[in-house]
Amino acid sequence: MTRFLALLRKELAALFLSPIAYGVLTMVALVTALVFFEHLSLYNKILFLFQTTTMGGFESDTIPNHINLRDSVFNPVMDQLSLLLVIPIPLVTMRVFAEERARGTEETLVTTGLSITQIVAAKFAVTFGFAVLMMMVSFVYPVTAIAQGGLGAQHLFAVFLGLTLLAIGIASIGLACSAFTTSQIVAAAAAVALAFLFYDFGWTHAFVSEDFAAFLDAISLRPHFRRFAEGLVFVSDIAFFGVMAVMAFVLCRFALNLRRVAG
Amino acid sequence: MTTSESLAATGAHVQARELGRRFGDHAALDRVSLEVQRGETFGLLGANGAGKTTFIRICTGYLVPTSGSLRVDGISPAEHPRGVQERLGYVTETSRLYPELRVQGFLRFAGGARGLRGSALDEAVESALDRFDLTAVARRLVGNLSKGYQQRVSLAQAFLHDPALVIVDEPTSGLDPLQQGDVREILAELQGQRTVILCTHDLAEARALTSRVAVLSHGRLLRTGPTEEILGEGDPLDLFRRAVSEDALHGDRA
Repeated sequence: MTRFLALLRKELAALFLSPIAYGVLTMVALVTALVFFEHLSLYNKILFLFQTTTMGGFESDTIPNHINLRDSVFNPVMDQLSLLLVIPIPLVTMRVFAEERARGTEETLVTTGLSITQIVAAKFAVTFGFAVLMMMVSFVYPVTAIAQGGLGAQHLFAVFLGLTLLAIGIASIGLACSAFTTSQIVAAAAAVALAFLFYDFGWTHAFVSEDFAAFLDAISLRPHFRRFAEGLVFVSDIAFFGVMAVMAFVLCRFALNLRRVAG
Repeated sequence: MTTSESLAATGAHVQARELGRRFGDHAALDRVSLEVQRGETFGLLGANGAGKTTFIRICTGYLVPTSGSLRVDGISPAEHPRGVQERLGYVTETSRLYPELRVQGFLRFAGGARGLRGSALDEAVESALDRFDLTAVARRLVGNLSKGYQQRVSLAQAFLHDPALVIVDEPTSGLDPLQQGDVREILAELQGQRTVILCTHDLAEARALTSRVAVLSHGRLLRTGPTEEILGEGDPLDLFRRAVSEDALHGDRA
């Protein structure tokens, strides 16, 4: 445990001493704020239109049910945020393994008596922890809409859990890509491409059979997140993201072990 | 006396038998057999690409051999890397440090990764800072130090757990003459205290620091014996020239 904790502290230091972590946190907070205020502004304009029409003025019963903070602001912001995660998360994960390998510090790590499982586990723990922090930062603005949006704490928790699991899923893809290359740019580009590919296969439904479409949905990220966004927490969705993380962990261990054998 | 103290006092025994390592069609090491005795300072010589780094990477457990065996005190680093790494201090090239960490932070990490904690870790780090003259730069970032000081940091991290076997890879590569002198002085102090494998292509360094050497060329062991006998005569560069020509001869015979 002493060895693992030492490595965990080193990984935390490496992450937070890098400007990328702060850049990504700022970018996520800024983009979430922009998207949020854009939707809030649109929502206010719609309300204003209803207020100034000849429909009877601004009375609650004249505004259609679907024009509310939850459906007009919170849900679309969360949907867009889920897609936006595909860019910043690979920027964080790209350096995790690739940088160690490129500058030769992987050899230092592996020869200090740390097992490969400990090395991979520490890197995963810190990266997933950062994903949770990123989601907390991104949640600040949308949460302000909740007070008047009629969204309960349980629904809010489901959305936060879904976003965090989605971030962990994308981070898993990024970590696996980082473990197989020495180039951070290649790691980031591959992770963004794969995350986009697996984000949503809904566009293929018109070209494939119903069974295959169901299969593609089962391996897509968005359908699993969507149920969380609707306030529904299914064990199968949690398991989906959990399996992604486990698969990435196994792949990263394999990549590090492969270098002992293949050089 | 702790286990590590007793291990360091006696040094480690290293034995390679018919050791081979291939990367695809290329044989980086080809049936190398050699033995390093406890407490010995052993030089591994050869031009770039001779197989020195591959040999030490097999010693450290970073690479596994494709044929033959290597044992450190009877333990195979390929099968039980941690067993070997607990006895091992590995001084890598300076580029293999963490430039974003402070010297003290890096040493604390290196000590913690080797299982030191609490007061044992504090004492090991303080002792290493003092021994390698790093106290004045303890709070500085490793990446901001001169190469000479970075090499001291690399040496310091290797001695935190008082290892029985120290492997030093090209310790003066890229250093100016003054820094080279400093590092050689530190390495000279280690003689007789524990087993040291010094991997270098600097013949003057090998002559000054080692008691026995092995000469590698294109993955083959060409000569091994007392340093004075191997490096003692004529132009030292002839050694590498002979190595290359002997290697070509082996190639012709093959």
